[in-house]
This record gives sequence, C-alpha cells and structure tokens, in this order.
Amino acid sequence: MQASISLQNVSVEFPIYQGGSRSLKKALLRAGTGGGIARDAANRVTVKALNGISATIEHGDRVALIGSNGAGKTTLLRVMAGVYEPTSGQVAIEGHVSPLFDVGLGLNPDATGLENIRMRGLLMGMHPQEIRERMEEIAEFTELGDYLSMPVRTYSAGMTLRLAFAVATASHPEILLMDEWLLAGDAHFLEKARRRLTDFVERSSILVLASHTETLLTEWCDKAILMERGAMLAFGPVQEVIALYHGRQAGEHVG
Amino acid sequence: MRLALNDITDGMSRRWLWSAMAWQDVMQRYRGSLLGPFWLTISTAIMISTMGVLYSALFKMEIGEYLPFLTLGLLAWNLISTLITDGCQTFVAAENIIKQIRLPLSTHAFRLVWRALIIAAHNFVVYVVVLFLFDVPVGAVTLLVVPGIALVAANGIWVALLLGMLCARFRDIPQIIASLIQIAFFMTPILWKPELLGPNEYLAHLNPFFAFVDLIRAPLLGQAPHAMSWVVALAVSAGGCALALALFAKFRSRIAYWV
Repeated sequence: MQASISLQNVSVEFPIYQGGSRSLKKALLRAGTGGGIARDAANRVTVKALNGISATIEHGDRVALIGSNGAGKTTLLRVMAGVYEPTSGQVAIEGHVSPLFDVGLGLNPDATGLENIRMRGLLMGMHPQEIRERMEEIAEFTELGDYLSMPVRTYSAGMTLRLAFAVATASHPEILLMDEWLLAGDAHFLEKARRRLTDFVERSSILVLASHTETLLTEWCDKAILMERGAMLAFGPVQEVIALYHGRQAGEHVG
Repeated sequence: MRLALNDITDGMSRRWLWSAMAWQDVMQRYRGSLLGPFWLTISTAIMISTMGVLYSALFKMEIGEYLPFLTLGLLAWNLISTLITDGCQTFVAAENIIKQIRLPLSTHAFRLVWRALIIAAHNFVVYVVVLFLFDVPVGAVTLLVVPGIALVAANGIWVALLLGMLCARFRDIPQIIASLIQIAFFMTPILWKPELLGPNEYLAHLNPFFAFVDLIRAPLLGQAPHAMSWVVALAVSAGGCALALALFAKFRSRIAYWV
C-alpha cells in the first residue's frame, strides 16, 4: 500500500475556556439571566491554531516542520495523527500512523521496561500476539539489556526514549510522526535511529518531523513545511525552505 | 452518528487493549501495598459490621436478616457509585493518551467499566463470608445476578461516555455528581428496607438506583428481583443509551479539544 497524507484547506480552532466558561453553574446562570450580560459573559474566545492548510505528502517523503514556537507545528502533527478532527477542511490519511510525540505516553513508571513495551505496543495498535512475536527484536533494539526487567522510573531520559522509539517503529507503521523530543538521545542512539528511519522510509513510508535542530532536519528530511502563525508559508525542498525561514527571521529582526 | 457507532464497535473490538489498561490500573493499586484493592474490601467489611449492629438495633431488626441485606446492598452500591464517579473522569483522566494517538474514544469507557468490575470482584470475598455466617440461601435464583451485573455494566458504558463528555467540558460537574451520589445513597433502600415506607413503598421502586441495586442484591440473597426493578432498569438503559449516543455523535470530535 502507498502511504499518503492529504490535507485540504484544513483549519483548527481551539476554544479557550477561561474561568467561568468551564463551569456548568455559570453556564446555567447565563442561560437564566439572558440578555446583554449573557452574551458578554458567554463570549467564547477561540484561537485559530491552523489556518487553511493544504498539502499532499506522498509515500517516501521525509518532511520537516519548521517554524517558531506557537506556529502550529504540534497541532499540525496532531491533525495528521487523527487526534484533532479539523474544524473545517478535509484530511485523508492512507496507512497506519505511529505518532511519537511524548516519550511518556502510556508509560507506567512503576512497571518494568518489558511491561511498558507491551502496554505501549497495545496503545500503538499492536495485537498482543504481534507484541509477543516482536518482543525480542524490540528489546534488542533498545540495548537496555537487564534494565528491561527494572521499573522504568529508574531509567534516564535517554533510556526511556530508546524504549519509546523501539516500540513506535516496531510495528512497521507506514507513517511516522515525530516531535522535537527526539534530540534527547545520545550520538550513538541517534545514528542508530537514523539508520532505522532511512530503512523505514525506503519501504516507501512517510516521516514527518518537527524540530528546531537544523543539522538533524537537513540530514533526515528531504522536504520541509514552513509554518507561521498557523498558516503554511512554504512547502518544498528542505534547503530552500530553511533558507526562506532564515530570510524571514532576519527580516523580522531588522524590521 | 455512523462515526459514533463505529467508534463504539471499534472500541469494543479492542478488548485486549482496554482489559490490559484496566488490569494495569488495578495492579497500580497493588504496588506499594500488599493488600491492594483488598483495602477496599476490608473497609467495606468494617463498615458493614459496625453499621450492621447499629442499624439493626435502630430498625429493631434481626441481625441475621439485616446484615446480609446491608452487605449485599453496599456491595451493589459500591459498584454502581464507582461507575458513576469514575465515569466523570473517563476522558479527563485519559488526556495524555487522547492527545497523542487516535484511539476509539469508547476504549476509555470500556477500560473504566472493566476496572470497576475487577475491583467489585474483590469484594466478592465479603459475600462469601456473609454467606457462611448467616446461612443465606443459594439456588437457581442466585444465577439471576449475572444478567443483573451485566445490565449494570452495560449502563456503566453509557454513563462513562455521557458523564465523561460533560465533565470534560464543564469541570465543576464531578463535584455536583459527588454530592448527588451521596444523597442518592441515603434515598435508596440500602441501609433501610423499602417496606419501611409502608403505603409509599411504590416510590422506592421508581428510584432507578434501587432498581439496579435490587437486580444484584436480591438474587444474592436468594430472592428474585422485583419485576418493577427490571422494568425501571431496562427503561433507564434504553433512555440513557439513546441520550449518550446522541450527544456522543454530536460532540465526539470535540472531546480531544476539551480535555
């Protein structure tokens, strides 16, 4: 199967619930009082996190998401993961998605590494049978050895990362979505992870990576999307987009 | 609506996922404490033996008759109130999972109901003790507890979806529910027998909490549940499912934004 992600005019608006709008009591009181005050108090603030994004990511693409903090990179990743259904626009995703946003997902610090591999695998959509079959391979990739029978709370950040990465890539997903945190690994592990990803992308899959580390982006990705304030400014070869990003930043500083 | 139904059937089909999550929750309670969820069993046992003595004197009832009634009523109530109070946290407690990966949202409801059933099974020990101490009759009618518990669990699913959504949107609902539950406990014939209402006994049968308690308690006491209990419980199930499904269809896609 050919993996693909197709976004058409996708917008996402976040309701911002502050103070009273989180309260049923106040909502009822508003309904009860009615009139001008009600409308004023009920004024719901929304933030447009993504604004009319259209892009098609084909199989074999390794896409970097670039942009300053708050530009909408994480939200876009979550839309691609199917976590947020957009407020307007269409999202069509072909292929099994494996998101790697948070190393801590489904991790139980008191359970052992092996138990956590199992739990995380289940969350990632693997069948218990499949996990049993791949357990050895996953355990080997983590290089954690005997630590796997220790509680995860004794692990360092880098060790937890190895475990999460091994599980996320173990089910051979067609689409891998990664956020920033990947940088916590040591050089040896990063090299190993890169090899696995290269291998993975060669099987005609998709990688989308949000990061600020340029060396990593140019090394791992061939395309890039530049985000600014929820809008997509550019989508093209990684070097060009990075150059454009620098140009805009320099412009901002001068202006 | 189709998406909402898909979510529920998809969720149900991932049995291995929600049962593993539920077990993990239960095991979590065992860690660092040898007795784990049995603490709950012990506190129930202590509560029953002290209250049993006091209230049997207050109501001038034979302790041999009152204590089994109280015990099984409390066990049934524990299950029901756990389903409701935990139901408020269905989605809020699963926030980090909901925001990371796409899973059928109903998965979290199934997890919660399964966890409540596992914990309720711990309390079964108390039933066995009471069974032997007080000579509670056991017969074919006892088996009626199976459909009773199944119906309570099925209602737990819509309660978890409905309250889970409401509490994700309005954060003050859990407190409101908690106080309502407390009132319901005293209004429902658990400490007292419905016969004490005299000519107004029919009012007790209109109480949906009584219906569900009765479906579990009566068979375990060796009696058939009241016919009215089945009627009320089935009506509540139908109405609740319809309401929860309608709201779930409407707001399912918003839940990720609310948590």
